[in-house]
Amino acid sequence: MSDPAHAAEAPRLSVLAWELLKLGAVAFGGLGSTLALLQRRLADERGWLEQSVISEGLAFTRALPGSTGIQLVAYLSHRLRGWPGALVGTVAYIAPATLMMILAAAFSLALPDHPAVDRALTGLQAGVVGLLAASMWRLARSEAKDKARLAVLLVCTVLGFFVNAVLVIALAGTVGLLATKEEARA
Amino acid sequence: MPDILELIARFLMVGAFAFGGGGAALPLVERFTVAETGWMTPRQFAIGIGFAYATPGPILILAAFVGYYVAGVPGALAGTCAVFAIPVALAAGSAGIVRRLNKYARFRAFARFAAAGAVGLLAVTLTALARPVLEIHPALLIGSVLVFAGERAGFSPVLLLAAAIALGAGSVFVA
Repeated sequence: MSDPAHAAEAPRLSVLAWELLKLGAVAFGGLGSTLALLQRRLADERGWLEQSVISEGLAFTRALPGSTGIQLVAYLSHRLRGWPGALVGTVAYIAPATLMMILAAAFSLALPDHPAVDRALTGLQAGVVGLLAASMWRLARSEAKDKARLAVLLVCTVLGFFVNAVLVIALAGTVGLLATKEEARA
Repeated sequence: MPDILELIARFLMVGAFAFGGGGAALPLVERFTVAETGWMTPRQFAIGIGFAYATPGPILILAAFVGYYVAGVPGALAGTCAVFAIPVALAAGSAGIVRRLNKYARFRAFARFAAAGAVGLLAVTLTALARPVLEIHPALLIGSVLVFAGERAGFSPVLLLAAAIALGAGSVFVA
């Protein structure tokens, strides 16, 4: 990497890992919080990266399949320390959440059979439906920015009940592929 | 043991097709954990999503939860590695390949439309999660609507889920 933006001083792997471990433990609330924390910690406070590198990473990873937050972490860690950095950085970032989910799963399996527990879980179930609806609402607003994509989205809500999910996504992508003319871009 | 291999294969697939981000990939997870393999009940899956919303980091950390149900701690670690392996490798390597791919309008169009399709699929997941709630009592969906409104109004998901759990548990004393 001969990028003048950070050629001066790339962090040691252990320092990078520690920073991302701390970040992964507090990045509540999806991509927005991860993005804000990355900007503050890696760019503003540590000065390892320019803000523009983070924006660029976001633009690249958005088009790729996968959770954008962890992909941005992978992209930035790779910029800082190559493949070892990407591996160590993403593992450190995801470790706290993984541990919490293991504890949560063990906890959920150990819950006693009691009416109050049953009711509490029913409450959680109803709540999750609401959260998922809100998530779908937000995603629909960001992904269906034109009529063609809105149409694809609506067709897929119906198609999904009859056709394999992976096939539906591949079909939707193919529609986009066929509907777009390849323009010459340098 | 075959279960953990199937788990890895399925979550690799989820990672590879998670256009539109982790939230849009939940239908893929729901399909195979609940509908196709019966690894989890709809309620257990809903609990997993609840915790995935409540913990820091990506929503697809749900893979750790599912993995634990299938094969304990090794399953949780395998599921987590599998679901993030392809996206992370693509993103880290994107300085090279994706920089080139992104120049192609057709590649970007595929990604954008696949994302729209994935969001549409959330309707299936929503139905799968709402049906068991409806079967317990239709009035419970009022709670779902309130949580939806609360989230739109900017309340934290953790707070909203905590309120839903507390109300559920408290209802024992009422009826």
